[in-house]
Amino acid sequence: MKDSQPIRWATMPELAIATPEGVLFRLPLAGPASRLYAMLLDMAIVLGTVNGIGLLIYRIFAKAPGFGVMVITLAEFAIGFAYGALLEGFWNGQTIGKRLFHLRVIDKSGLPLRIEQAWVRNLMRVFDALPFAYLVGGLSVLSNPLMQRFGDRVAGTLVIRQSPLVAPGEEFWTPQKYNSFMDYPTIAMKLRRAATPELASLIQDALRRRNELASYARREIYRELAAYLQAEISLFPDELVEMLSDEQYLINAAGVLFGDRRQSRVYR
Amino acid sequence: MILDLERFQTRAGPRWSSLESLLATIEGRPDRRLNPMEAEQLQELYAKAAVDLNRVTHGALAPELRQYLERLVARAYSELHYVPPTRSELWQPRRWLRIFTLFPETFRRQSRYFALAVLITVLGCTLGGLAVRYDPAAVDVLLPANYLRNPGQRVHEEEQAKNHDRHSTQSEAAFSAQLIRHNIEVAMLAAALGVTFGIGTALLLFENGVLLGAVAVRYTQQGFGLFMSAWLLPHGVFEIPSILIAGQAGFYLARVLLRRSEDRDVRQSMSEWLVLIAGTAMMLVWAGVMEAFFSQHHEPVLPYWFKVAVGGAELALLTVYLLLIGRRKTDAEARNFPAENK
Repeated sequence: MKDSQPIRWATMPELAIATPEGVLFRLPLAGPASRLYAMLLDMAIVLGTVNGIGLLIYRIFAKAPGFGVMVITLAEFAIGFAYGALLEGFWNGQTIGKRLFHLRVIDKSGLPLRIEQAWVRNLMRVFDALPFAYLVGGLSVLSNPLMQRFGDRVAGTLVIRQSPLVAPGEEFWTPQKYNSFMDYPTIAMKLRRAATPELASLIQDALRRRNELASYARREIYRELAAYLQAEISLFPDELVEMLSDEQYLINAAGVLFGDRRQSRVYR
Repeated sequence: MILDLERFQTRAGPRWSSLESLLATIEGRPDRRLNPMEAEQLQELYAKAAVDLNRVTHGALAPELRQYLERLVARAYSELHYVPPTRSELWQPRRWLRIFTLFPETFRRQSRYFALAVLITVLGCTLGGLAVRYDPAAVDVLLPANYLRNPGQRVHEEEQAKNHDRHSTQSEAAFSAQLIRHNIEVAMLAAALGVTFGIGTALLLFENGVLLGAVAVRYTQQGFGLFMSAWLLPHGVFEIPSILIAGQAGFYLARVLLRRSEDRDVRQSMSEWLVLIAGTAMMLVWAGVMEAFFSQHHEPVLPYWFKVAVGGAELALLTVYLLLIGRRKTDAEARNFPAENK
């Protein structure tokens, strides 16, 4: 895992898929913790169901408790495996736990998984659960770049994070009626050309997370960023910079970087 | 930075939302079928979203928009390229009944792995038998349970029906369920251990063989050969072959994993593995029922020769089933697709 990357979505392990049409997209892989929580929830659901059915069966077999125990023992066993296999196979790669934790099992080519794959990965649990508490499966997840347990490796599947689709909403910087950097089109153009994608995302993140940061941290981060931009990339005139707070400096820079066309029109 | 994001989003937004709602409709169906109009629409919207994604990736700095489009394109891609199983495959009960012919067919097709499983078990049996025969000290190590070590005492108890409480139908039912469950778990483990390139499967089969050989020799040595045959055969003729078939599935899995290359379609091979496990489970259900309801009754109730005869009849039936069922069909298939069964 690449922990030191500045862009949030790149720090997660991903599956990159290049389609025949030449489109490249990435799917974020699920980590062991969320998978564990989902599994615990699923186990609770299975136990609850089995006990519910068990009570019913005890009532039905009140005069033949042995048969009651027989049915319960076998039902518990069958439900334990069939729950995961059938739900994943027929419900878009998700069990109830996986759906609540926004996880989904897919084929490793990015396609939905098939019912056979769902059965294989669930039957392989007997191996992944060895020697206790899914130790083998957990170690496999941690040691595999695609975060697969052995069941996933055999079935050719993997678990991805599938957070709900939210279309990006509002602009993240306060729209400015007048962006003073646009008074210096040459320098602004230089800033646009020189800014790397990482730097631009850094500015964007710093502004977006304004309210999450403690005030001293915000001051410090904004000061460093603005000083870096001013010194290394685009030298706006001192008389302009002196009038701006560091935050305003970054907001203006973001306006320049992310194509704030309206301001340039106002300027013209 | 080249792209005017705001204008871009305003213009492309509606088609993204219609792609989203189309995807939600398709994903809601269990068989994921598309009608021709939907397919055309999906193809068109997918192509446009893919172009949009490329533009955002190369022409703008908008991680969130990019992530949104990536997810959208990924979902559309998976629906577009997924070949759903035909309806008959999923919902026809006849397909589920096919397991009864598929199992012996698969068993015969992969019989060399069965031979390997038999070989390893026989090796274990021989070693266990020889150890007990020639090294009395080995008895304590190989046969941990007292009833295995002292057959005389056990036979006496069983024949006196000292374990009488076990023999009520009620407790037999509960006992059979535990047996079925435990045996299926062991069989599944043997099949799953194939993932260790078969080493785990081999060890499990070998250990099983050692125990079997040791018990057989110990009981025969002390003159309880007939009792033991009558005690073990009625369920053993299903239980032991089923563990061997589970071992066969394990070795088969190992082979599939060893020669798996990226472009190989593993779907067919995985189905065969599943069929073997399903067949094993069916056999073990029968074995569990026999073990609890039949095997535990001894001489005064059931004569030993009768129990042995029942075991022999079961074995004959199982052999016929595994070797002959579906044979004509397999031959016909082999004639039609000679390359497939190689």
